[in-house]
Amino acid sequence: MSTTARVHAARHGNRVRRSWWRTAIGVVLTLVMLFPVYWMVNVSLTPRTAIRAGRLFPASPTLEHYAIVLREQLPHLLTSVVVGLGTVALTLVVAAPAGYALSRLLLPGRRVLNFLLIVAQMIPAVVMALGFYSIYSRLGVLDTIPGLILADSTIAVPFGVMLFVAFMSGIPRELLQAAQIDGASHWRTFRSVVLPVSRNSAVTVALFAFLWAWSDFLFASTLNRGGGSLRPITMGIYDYIGSQNQEWGPMMATAVVACVPTAILLVVAQRYVAAGVTAGAVKD
Amino acid sequence: MTISTKRMVAVAAAATALTVLTACSGGDDTSSTDSSTGTSTGGGGTTLTDIAVWDPYPQHDESSDWAKYLQSCAPEGTTVTRTSAATADLLNNLTSAVKEGNAPDVVLLDNPAVPDAAVSGLLASAADVGMDTAGFDANLAGPGTVDGVTYGVPIGANTLGLYYNADILEASGVDPLTITDWDSLNDALAAVTAAGHKGITFSGIAGEEGVFQALPWFWGAGAQLDDLGSDQAVEAGQLLSDWIGQGYAPKSALTDNQSASWDLFLTGEYAFAENGSWFAKAASELTDFSAVAMPLPGHVGGAAPAPTGGEFVLAPLQKKDAEAHYANASKIIDCLVGADNQVKTADALGYFAANKDLRAAQVAADPIWTPWATSIESAQGRTTDLGPDYTAASAALSTALQASLNAAGDADAVRSAFEQAAQG
Amino acid sequence: MWFVKTSSAAVLAAPTEADEVVVPPRARRRIRPTTWAALGFVAPLLVYVVVLYAYPLYENVSMSLHRFTRATYVTGEAPFTGLDVYREVIASPQFWTTVRQTTVFVVVSLVVQYVGGLALAAFFRRSFPLSSLLRALFLVPWLMPIIVSGTTWQWMMDADSGVLNRFLGLVGIDPVWWLNADHALASVTIANIWLGIPFNLVILYSGMQGIPDELYEAASLDGAGAWRQFWSITFPMLRPVSAITLLLGFVYTLKVVDIIWIMTMGTGSSQTLATWAYSMAFGKGSSAVIKYSEASVVGTILLVVALVMGFVYLAAQRRQEER
Repeated sequence: MSTTARVHAARHGNRVRRSWWRTAIGVVLTLVMLFPVYWMVNVSLTPRTAIRAGRLFPASPTLEHYAIVLREQLPHLLTSVVVGLGTVALTLVVAAPAGYALSRLLLPGRRVLNFLLIVAQMIPAVVMALGFYSIYSRLGVLDTIPGLILADSTIAVPFGVMLFVAFMSGIPRELLQAAQIDGASHWRTFRSVVLPVSRNSAVTVALFAFLWAWSDFLFASTLNRGGGSLRPITMGIYDYIGSQNQEWGPMMATAVVACVPTAILLVVAQRYVAAGVTAGAVKD
Repeated sequence: MTISTKRMVAVAAAATALTVLTACSGGDDTSSTDSSTGTSTGGGGTTLTDIAVWDPYPQHDESSDWAKYLQSCAPEGTTVTRTSAATADLLNNLTSAVKEGNAPDVVLLDNPAVPDAAVSGLLASAADVGMDTAGFDANLAGPGTVDGVTYGVPIGANTLGLYYNADILEASGVDPLTITDWDSLNDALAAVTAAGHKGITFSGIAGEEGVFQALPWFWGAGAQLDDLGSDQAVEAGQLLSDWIGQGYAPKSALTDNQSASWDLFLTGEYAFAENGSWFAKAASELTDFSAVAMPLPGHVGGAAPAPTGGEFVLAPLQKKDAEAHYANASKIIDCLVGADNQVKTADALGYFAANKDLRAAQVAADPIWTPWATSIESAQGRTTDLGPDYTAASAALSTALQASLNAAGDADAVRSAFEQAAQG
Repeated sequence: MWFVKTSSAAVLAAPTEADEVVVPPRARRRIRPTTWAALGFVAPLLVYVVVLYAYPLYENVSMSLHRFTRATYVTGEAPFTGLDVYREVIASPQFWTTVRQTTVFVVVSLVVQYVGGLALAAFFRRSFPLSSLLRALFLVPWLMPIIVSGTTWQWMMDADSGVLNRFLGLVGIDPVWWLNADHALASVTIANIWLGIPFNLVILYSGMQGIPDELYEAASLDGAGAWRQFWSITFPMLRPVSAITLLLGFVYTLKVVDIIWIMTMGTGSSQTLATWAYSMAFGKGSSAVIKYSEASVVGTILLVVALVMGFVYLAAQRRQEER
């Protein structure tokens, strides 16, 4: 082998070794972070008599909790997925154009609006929920899924707008000017240039919108009390909290069952947060 | 400002004003759609085909005895829609529902919340609804009467007792029959912990549940809820505080509710558990060890007066079609707690019937209830004396209790906690 | 030097007012259409904000200016009290203690979450085997219903049989009563930090992906080590994203109720303004007495605090624009 080739090989070998070392650290960090999740799985496999004994591994593992969950909770899981995806769609539709307007189109009064968005996020969620209850009650949309989607989106929209503004501010001016010089309208520019380039931020916003809708309990319990099977999983899990008796085994099992499909969704979504979406798009 | 900005501000202001005005003007909106009670008959119809019942039993799903029994109570031509919510949330849900005119036909509220609900104008009186209020024991029906007006009747009753792990007591050489007062209980606790086991579990969580669990000791010492600074009150607090300090009770009592406390007892490591009669059936079915129930001991002997648990069945105040709603409500309520039905309902829920004779029959029919017979006779309603003032008294006691448990035996801290509670 | 050379340094700066002036003649005719287009883009948001946020906000402030009880909440006829309730709340013995506890909770959570998230984002920046899987797994804590994660932390922190004390015992530390009145603040802060790290990680990582690789390559060609690269490239270029992460983190941490409530019900030192407002609005926790007005007052105070932070953020953003 030539010297350069040997140097390349050595450097490649170094890089591979360093990568595996990083993987090892990464795995350790993830395990520490996920320890409470492990505990959840641990309890879900433990019979009630041993739950508070605090053993590191399930003492006499049982699947009875999972049997209960699979029998009772699947409609709730499906509802949560529908509400989550609906919230993502609504949030992106409202927040992305607004983010573009506030960051690139020099909308007059944008500072005021930015400010209002911060204020909006500070309104205590309980106040929002009670306010919605009166409005929904009068409009007759209590206990409906679209109503819940609208309410859940209020958690994500201000965040989405602020995030889009932060990210879209970083789109190189040259990209937008190139589109304008080619005669594209603002809508066209938005659709064909800004959106593809904002894929990272869109995925991030979508991720949080889904997660917040998925884990929302307050709006669901205020606005969807009578929904029956059409209640999301956060309420379904509360069925195991009786007036004097709480069943932790089935609750933990529900949480595990709920985690699995959404964890897969997360892994898939993370692949879209890729490097270099803006880099290389502009030639110096 | 540019013209377009001014226009935008004007539009936004107008929209805001419009929204606020429409929202605020709907105070007593008579055209609201009653979505949660499902009234579909329009145009002056006074028969309602959907009856809404709210209960605090989410653990009983559609296939449970309770749900099926409730469905069977639906009068000819109607359907019962049952919604469950956690006890702590039910009163608040009811408040917002009554405000919006969405109240259910029947609601089951935890008994200490009844005076609060009555005084806040959430309930219709039993007379208006046509409820039969005779045939219930006085000590159990007490919370349902506020300022001389009766609003509802108990659906059943439960109370607290002392469960013990017979195997541990035997192994530690403690005879349960000798546990008749606080001293003998403390001796027993010392004996079991010396033998390598754990002592007693109870719930000291902040709020009504912790107060519920502390009342047998509080009343057992002779203290009263209107005088929290008395020596007897401090003694009760000291008892619990010492249990934590000496390691007889788990430190998690500070945050455990009754179910969590029961989970600890189920591990088989604890000799005693202060818990409710609703676990009596589960206790009798345990296979890992033998769990037996007995009355809670008073300070110097006898059974301590325990608080009554259990819900009251009530009819919320209705703004629209009140007659029809109340007619349906009284039919359902009669089906639930009419003289012939009390035992059926109580069995479905795991409670005692709230009538002495019916209860005697229950006890005779099932031996697991025998240790509870005396406890329920001497049980006291929490709100019977104080009425709506109970809520504030309970809050003060809860603060004092939490401080006592935190003190873990420190006598000065316990005393000052109760004195502060008496003032506040 | 490499951190000045490339024009991409301007990439993450916000557009300045000056841009409006330097405009080719063809585009100058577009200034008014731009504003209309901007309005069109932002219209859904405006309607959304006005309809869904204005009414609850009005309700909140209005409730704090009246004296509401459960009875008057139902009838709606509460007496107007002006600023009386505000005075009562601020004069109450709990107020300043709660403010102090809230400050500790928010500042410690924010700092540790941000630093932790930043470190992890930097760690994950360059991909290595399994990196995308591990990054996704870091979000799994957010999939657990809060009732479950809160209770799990409560059990792990159990003084007698909790896992945490067992691990401490392995290294010779005495068991700690994590959830008593004195230690409750530390305990809920730890759990909250655990909850907040994924948020910071995801956003900061996303922001880092926007930094062109050429900068790093140029830097390493010039012999700069990883640490130097981080401080001179990554950190400065992340400023707008960091600012938004810190602001949002501040606002969200200020509002946190669930995790504290499930672990301790806001007792002892773990009472923050948010949990206090929650317990008064719903009659939960130690006292079942409903105090709607007092809760609204605390809610309004929280709102004002967040507004102040918002001003700070906007001022910082304006200073950045003028650079």
